[in-house]
Order: sequence, then C-alpha cells, then structure tokens
Amino acid sequence: MKNTLIAVRSLFIVTACGALLASCASTPPPCNGPQSRNLEKAISEVQSNLTGGCAAHFDRYFDDLLTIAEGDPKASNKRAFSEFLVWAKDEGLVSQRQAKDNYNRYFNVKFMSMQGDYNNCSHTCPHRDRVLLNMERELSDKERGLLKVSLDNQGYYRASELYQEVELVLEATCTACAAGQ
Amino acid sequence: MNVTGFALVIRAPALLSLLLAASTYAQTEAPTIRLFPTTVVEDLRQTSSVAKEMETGLQEVIGVLDQQQQLYVESKCEGAEEDQGCQRLAKQLGATYLEMLGIMEERLPDMEHTVNNTRLSLEKRLRSELGKKMTPWMLQETLLGGNPRDVTAPSPTLRGRSGMRLSERFKQYYQLVASSNSQTDQSLAVLASDIYLDMEETSELIARTREEIARATLIEQLNQSFGAITPEMMDVVGGVKSILFGDEPSLVQIAGPPSASIEKAYRSPLEN
Repeated sequence: MKNTLIAVRSLFIVTACGALLASCASTPPPCNGPQSRNLEKAISEVQSNLTGGCAAHFDRYFDDLLTIAEGDPKASNKRAFSEFLVWAKDEGLVSQRQAKDNYNRYFNVKFMSMQGDYNNCSHTCPHRDRVLLNMERELSDKERGLLKVSLDNQGYYRASELYQEVELVLEATCTACAAGQ
Repeated sequence: MNVTGFALVIRAPALLSLLLAASTYAQTEAPTIRLFPTTVVEDLRQTSSVAKEMETGLQEVIGVLDQQQQLYVESKCEGAEEDQGCQRLAKQLGATYLEMLGIMEERLPDMEHTVNNTRLSLEKRLRSELGKKMTPWMLQETLLGGNPRDVTAPSPTLRGRSGMRLSERFKQYYQLVASSNSQTDQSLAVLASDIYLDMEETSELIARTREEIARATLIEQLNQSFGAITPEMMDVVGGVKSILFGDEPSLVQIAGPPSASIEKAYRSPLEN
C-alpha cells in the first residue's frame, strides 16, 4: 500500500516536471516589427502582435509605426495614431494617461513637459533648465509627429513658436520671482 | 563710452510706445491677466517721454558732428594734424562730441530712474500674475490662447531688433499692436516679459554707461588741449549714428511655415 502511494506520488511529480519542461521549451512569440510599409496594414500587424504576447514591446512598435508613417506622410495619419492608441488603451496595453501622453507628445501643439499642479515661482522656476530641455526634446518629437508624419506644418510652427515664447516668458517670470524672494 | 549700452537705452522708447498702445487695448478688453495696470502704463509713459527727449537732443548734435567730420575729411586733415586750420576743426569736433556726452549725462539719471520704476512695476506684475497665479500648464494655455495664431502675422517678440531707423521701428511696433492677432493675453504676456528683460538690461547698462561717460568726458577734455581726434571718438559717434538713423535697410523677416496643403484639423479624443 505504502509502495503504491510512493509510486503514484512519483508519477505525479514526473508528470508535473514534464509539463513544466514542455512549457519552457515552447517558442516565445518573435515580436518582429511590422513588415508592411502601409500604415493601416502595419497597424493591424502590430495589433495582432501586441495581443499575441508582445505587449512589452509597445514602445518599439509605436516607434516602428511612426517610421512607417513618415514614409507616407498625410494629415489622416494623425487620426490613425489616435485610433491605434485608443485601441491600445481599451485593450489594457497602456493606461489612459500613457495613451494621452503618447498622442499629445507627437501630435499636439501643447507640451506635455509643461504639466504641473503648482505655481511657476515655486515649481517651474527652480527646474527651469530641465523643463526647457524636456520641451526641446518634445519639440523634436512634435517635428516627427506633426511635420513628418501628419504634414501639419502650421501645428509644428506654432509649437516651435510656443517653445520660444515659453523660454522668454519663463526667463522674465523666474527673474521676477527670484527678485521677490 | 559703451555704445551697446546706449543702444538698449535708445531701444526702450520704442518698446514703451508699443506697450502703451497694447495696454490701452488690454484695458478695454478686460484680459484675464492684468500685466499692465494704470501705474505700469504711467511709468512707461514717463520713460518713453524721457527717452524721446534724449533721442531728439542727440539727433541734432549728431547731425552737427556729421557735418564737422565731413569738413575735416574734405579738408584733407587726416595726416595733417599739425595744420592750424585742422587743429581748429578737430577742436570743434571734440567740443561737439563733449556736447553729445553732456546731453547723455544730463538725461541718463532721469532715464535710469524711470526705467527702474517701470522695471519694478513690471517685475511685481509678472511675479504675481504669471509666477504665482499660474501653473506651467496655465501659462502654456495663456500663451497659446483660445485659437491658434495666424502664422503669417508678425510675432510680438521684440528682443534683438536693433540697427533699424527709430521712426521705422515705431511704425513696425504700431503695426504690430494694430494687428488684431497681437492684442491678446498671450502676446501681452510675451510683451511684458520682453519689456521687463529689456528694462533689466537697460537699467544695468545705464549705470555702466554713466561711468563710461565720466571717463570719456575726461579723456576728451584732455584731447581738447591737443586737438586730436581719437579713433574711440569716431567709433562712438558711428555707433550712436547707426542706432539713431539705422543701418542699411534690412528687412526683419519672420520665417513662415513650410508650404503644404493642410487638411481640416483633426481633433483626437486623446487631445488635451
């Protein structure tokens, strides 16, 4: 009786290990980049990959899609990216905030680097250089999204102008803040 | 004599006139940010008036300097400094130069006082309205305004515009203020910042310029004894002339956006 119990237990352990090894040996999804140069098709490929176990590669896929869109720039690309991000949010691949940040960073005139809940004297001025550096980087992404992907020249021009205005206004405001301390 | 400093001193009235017009509009349209209350406007008006007086006085004396210099050159006095006639011309030129320095010395304290008043008033408004009452996001939204600005309209950013005839600069500023696109909160914020920074520099430079005038006056008084025209003197006169009368006409152009067809703006539900 005791021997039978040991035998059953051993069989169970062997089976479990076997199952575990088998699962380890299964091939992970390749998570290749989209093959199509057509944005619509590329988005479908990416969507399929993302839901097929490649969710961790979201940022790379997003970048791939931007590169593909740069090859065929048009105003409607903005909508395609918006819809893709809304889909990603609905699928739970990214949060609402990440979806917004991604969209606005590339396709909106406003700078996400200018977010903050405290007043400029206390919050922005002590980190003015960092804020401006982040804005400069974001402007480069806007150049890609607005100008190279969406042909929204007017939008990009305004973003660039806004950056310069913020730089000037912050210089004056922060000087005034410092003088009042 | 610090010509750069003088350039900024001279640039102030043009900025001030622009602001006076802008603030008048601001009062009638009741903007959400109050950067130019009556006190600031009054300070600016006074600064503008003092600067204008200085400008007018200098314009006359520079005209005389011009004529004297021309006469000096036409009389082939360069290299003939020992000639008595040339020495007399050089002394006259030096006297006019001293007169120019005198006008500046006389006007600068008033200028310094009014510039400082304006700077301090603007400083207070900027700190309160943009520094303490706004988050960075609010500041950005103020600068953007409700509607995207017409990209063909001139930008209200004024810093660095020098070397232009003063009357032409006034005209440009007037046009800037008169155009509907510049009379909004966002351009007033830029304008206030622009003027404040300019006033800061001006204030500092007036102080330095006053020190320089004392030195230049002493040197020229010594030169009067020898009747020499120094290269420094010619440099100063040349610098002042270029500021008052402008350099060769140069078009200050603001780059337009690259041309391309822009389809109807798409608004994403993700947009902020």
